[in-house]
Amino acid sequence: MLRHLNKLRLVTLTLIFAMLVLLPFLSIYQSYRAAHAYDLLAPAEQQLYDAMEWLTEPFTDDPATDLDALKGTTWSANVFGLKLSDPLALAGQIAAGGRVYGPFLLSALIPIVLTVLLGRFFCGWICPATLLYELNGLLSRWLRALGLRSPTRHFDLRFKYGVLALGLVLSMFTGTIFFALIYPPAIIGRELYYAIALGGFGAGAIFFALTLLFDLLVSRRGFCRYLCPGGALYSLLGRYRLLRIARKVEQCNDCTKCDVVCEFGLQPMRDGFGQECNNCTACMAVCPTDALAFRFSLTDLPAQGAGHLGRTHLRHGAKSATGDN
Amino acid sequence: MQRRGLLRRVLAFLALAAGGALPFGIARFLAPARAADASHLRPPGALADARAFTAACIGCGLCAEVCPPRCIKFYARSGGGEVNTPYIDPRASACILCGKCMEACPTDALRVIPRQEIDMGIARIDRDTCYPWLDRGVCGACVTVCPVGDKAINFEFANIYRPVVRSGCVGCGLCVEICPHPALAIHVRPRVTSA
Repeated sequence: MLRHLNKLRLVTLTLIFAMLVLLPFLSIYQSYRAAHAYDLLAPAEQQLYDAMEWLTEPFTDDPATDLDALKGTTWSANVFGLKLSDPLALAGQIAAGGRVYGPFLLSALIPIVLTVLLGRFFCGWICPATLLYELNGLLSRWLRALGLRSPTRHFDLRFKYGVLALGLVLSMFTGTIFFALIYPPAIIGRELYYAIALGGFGAGAIFFALTLLFDLLVSRRGFCRYLCPGGALYSLLGRYRLLRIARKVEQCNDCTKCDVVCEFGLQPMRDGFGQECNNCTACMAVCPTDALAFRFSLTDLPAQGAGHLGRTHLRHGAKSATGDN
Repeated sequence: MQRRGLLRRVLAFLALAAGGALPFGIARFLAPARAADASHLRPPGALADARAFTAACIGCGLCAEVCPPRCIKFYARSGGGEVNTPYIDPRASACILCGKCMEACPTDALRVIPRQEIDMGIARIDRDTCYPWLDRGVCGACVTVCPVGDKAINFEFANIYRPVVRSGCVGCGLCVEICPHPALAIHVRPRVTSA
């Protein structure tokens, strides 16, 4: 059952991305509704109106006000009256303004609590940039099939904490929220709105394209692993998370598939999860022996050595374990 | 192997370009904002202090998403600390004072305040352009459209078609949007407080 969670995750990511594309259109539709201006619209605008009407008709009688229930991006959203904000936005605002605004802190509280409990889950399950980065990884695999191997350089995973610190310092000095410029999910949500509702990408789109190139040409999933300030913050918050993936050493056959598939370059087969793991469950999905499962604990299991179904273990380690065969 | 060499060279070039662009980007970001267009207004309820506003605004775009006339736009491509913050250009489309943006804003960049306390600026009439002030016909469009009413704009006592801005103007800019003169005889500018 657990191996299907990864599909669920991809569906979730796709839905969230689709929502980010749809919301600007809905916003435009709302303004048409509020103006009662169908007859004044250009034919293309009327098509948009009709499409959005068809989409929302089953859910609402009064689109102009009802559709306000779902607004925003993953950077800050209003979901059925509940305001949710990214903890990184809160950190940036505190650094930039040197003060804490209570209601904004409250809106970031639910994400913070979830991150403390679930770790970096935002990176794997919600972040709209993750979908594009994983598609980028797919492109890299296709290029490899064509003979163009993307280099995978490894840097220090702790580099992103430096980016987080630098971002806080820059926010403080410039008095603006610097993270909004370099944080991919904030960029994606915003740029989709700019492109659809305001007619043109902003400067952030260029930065995001550069991060895609970085992932493709320098290091697989490099931005998330080594540079993302949000990932750094959630890793810190989720250091003592409750929900972890752990390896059942009795079922592991040391095939290394999980090590290869891990987007963040962790080593599930050697019990190396740590604070970087975002519980994306890609390793669970790929495991041929179902040796990876969730575990409620504040710490990872210590290194358990070779898997009991693996060749090394069967040859040397456990004569007694196989003795009853 | 040739391909790999080429890839490596492309990579090296990109790394060089990125390395070179980084200081420029930081400098660009730290540089003072471009002289702002005087007609650009902050949305209603915005913090009066410009620095406090940019420090509070996280650039999420919620204010624009809920705006019924879609008048809120963003400094999407201009540099400086203003980038991704919202503005309203009443020449294109003006604020209708519905207050949805103030409620949507997750931060205190836009605070929820009563309509009469909103201060986006104050309208100024250019008497060398305005048709009635030049005795070139009757108009009164600005007075008719004003959502605030007599406290904000009404006609001069002596000539019932000449508009005069009063102190109650909140600077929504609907008068700018509707002004029939091609050069716009009315503008909204920041209020000069004599303190």
